[in-house]
Amino acid sequence: MSLTAGVVLLPFLAAIGLGFWGSPLRGAYANLVVCGVVFGLTLVVFLEPDAGALGGTVRADRLGMMFGALSGFVALTTAISNLDFVRGELERTSPRRWRVYHAMCQVMLGATLLGFYADNIGLLWVAVEMATIAATLGVSLPRTASALEAAWKYFILGGVGIALALFGTMVIYLAAQPAMGPGLAAMSLSALSAHAAQLDGRLLTLAFVFLLFGYGTKAALAPLHGWLPDAYAEGPAPLTTMLSGLLLNVALIAILRFRHLLQANADAGGGAMHPGPFLVTLGLASLLLTAFSLWGRRDSRRFFGFSSIEHSGIAAFAFGIGGVAAIFAGLLHILLHTLIKSALFQALTRSAALRGGAAPGNFGFSHLRGMLASNKSLAWLLGACVFALTGLPPSGLFASEFLIISQTIQRQPLLSLPLGAGLVVSAIAIIRLIGPLLFDPPPRGVIEVKAGAGIATVGLHLLLVLVLAFAMPLALVRMLSSIAGALQ
Amino acid sequence: MMPVNSLSHALAGLILLCAFALLSQRRLAAMITLIQAEALVLSLAAVIQGYSQNADALYLTGIITFAIKGVLLPMALRRITRRFNLIRAVETVMPVGFSMIIGVGLIGIAVMVVLPSAASAATQTREDLAIALSVVLLGLLVMTTRRNALSQVIGFLSTENGLVLAAIGMPGMPFVAELSVALLVLLALLVVGVFVFQLREHFEDLDLSGIEAIERRGR
Repeated sequence: MSLTAGVVLLPFLAAIGLGFWGSPLRGAYANLVVCGVVFGLTLVVFLEPDAGALGGTVRADRLGMMFGALSGFVALTTAISNLDFVRGELERTSPRRWRVYHAMCQVMLGATLLGFYADNIGLLWVAVEMATIAATLGVSLPRTASALEAAWKYFILGGVGIALALFGTMVIYLAAQPAMGPGLAAMSLSALSAHAAQLDGRLLTLAFVFLLFGYGTKAALAPLHGWLPDAYAEGPAPLTTMLSGLLLNVALIAILRFRHLLQANADAGGGAMHPGPFLVTLGLASLLLTAFSLWGRRDSRRFFGFSSIEHSGIAAFAFGIGGVAAIFAGLLHILLHTLIKSALFQALTRSAALRGGAAPGNFGFSHLRGMLASNKSLAWLLGACVFALTGLPPSGLFASEFLIISQTIQRQPLLSLPLGAGLVVSAIAIIRLIGPLLFDPPPRGVIEVKAGAGIATVGLHLLLVLVLAFAMPLALVRMLSSIAGALQ
Repeated sequence: MMPVNSLSHALAGLILLCAFALLSQRRLAAMITLIQAEALVLSLAAVIQGYSQNADALYLTGIITFAIKGVLLPMALRRITRRFNLIRAVETVMPVGFSMIIGVGLIGIAVMVVLPSAASAATQTREDLAIALSVVLLGLLVMTTRRNALSQVIGFLSTENGLVLAAIGMPGMPFVAELSVALLVLLALLVVGVFVFQLREHFEDLDLSGIEAIERRGR
């Protein structure tokens, strides 16, 4: 068995163990250890790129490896901050539910990695489906009426998305029939991309529409985003916000890979439509919709859920613009946003915990105002995360958004107007939060408390973002641009 | 080969008929019967496709579909309707006649989209795909026009039957059995979800935190 298969299978095996044995705290520590090992393994995978495993259905290419390592890293820091979360919430939930919770964390991680490493489009679909199930169970765990409602909404919308994606997957297989014949090869992403010019263009277009709407549901692109704010706001924070944020990436990367099939086929005169307009439309719709939805939100997790939709939209837009630079920028944007958003949710969860518990009801902005009074370092970290999200310099997102805008001006100048307007409006909506969140007078009875060493992960994320955006190692630049070049 | 082909066509047509009839039904019991009939026809279609393509995996798909979707799931759904006394007609978002007109439109769209774009595929595959897409879309329509959670699940079941119908019609597609099992896991969870949901709605006044405290004391 190869290494890649091991990385993918380890979380699932761990999930079985975590699901049946152990007290909540021991589960949290075991979860941490497994995440550490998985992160280590996602780095070791770089040593054997493109090695096939499990009968050729799993094959980590460079794009998959990069995002796999990112997922491993976020899972590890999430597992660290999860220790504090479990300690704080220990009494609120039964031990059995804690076991389900930790098992679902691992299933989520395993499904995410499988989604990045899968070479078989059927397996990719199974990974997304498993992640959906894990996330639904996670969201429903608090068992409050609103949590159940959010879980149901997620399940129904996610189920529809999954159904559409499966149909699209089958049509891709059919499109490959004339060139590749029946069998496994017609479902392998790498083989499909090698034969992209000979695929049936019209069937490919049909398949892409289904895949775009199917995986677009999981990437929370408007108008299919309805589940995300509810799911973010109601579930246990580490599972439904930090880990399931990784699932957005799986869906976006899947869309990017299928986009490449379509683009290559269209460029070779295979009869497929250009994927650009589809992606640009959905991306802009998501951006503009959230730019206005960000105003007047009272719950912080719902608010930052909307901001995730915005950034998914920006990435999809960049993929739609096309060309090496725009795809490079889109990938960079996903990388940076994932790091910032997971750091933000870690800081937010810790803040709510300092203000009397990280239960779903405690994330209102009015509840979290004036964080400087509770803990100075945590408050500044939280403020830095929120600022980083605006995309103003020196936030890392500035680099990727700047690149996307300049590419848009070069390729489709008219589109830069709505793009710029959306970016500015949402940046203002986000930046006006920092004042109240940090400096307002806190609610009555708030005293200064220790935040613990766990918040160091937030600083680590932010540092990494700065390095990636403004001092990216040359090897990484080369790798990202060659990935973008291969997928343009 | 010819009689087998026309037989599988006829079965696909029957499935489409069931999916369409779902739109007109407002009683849960009748919807469950329809979905059961649909699953039984689907399992027969899978076995026949398995025979004509000479693929063992399709026999397996047929058996799984028969056992779980044809027998077990309808039993579970009937139990839920009896347990929570859901025999009254389901609320619909729009008049039934109107949703049937939309349904006809959807079938038309499916045929118009699939037939020309699948020109390279064999006639048989192409037509099966058009029917399967119609079933998928009709299932989604059922999901959007019903307010009740259980009938949404039934709509999803029909969608899923359409997906399996598409999968068994693909020549030599690998992993058909595995994919249909993955879909079933999702469905099983949906049914459990409905159960929890109904429980919640049924005992709305009851504070569930009490149950949780009891649960914790129990261990």
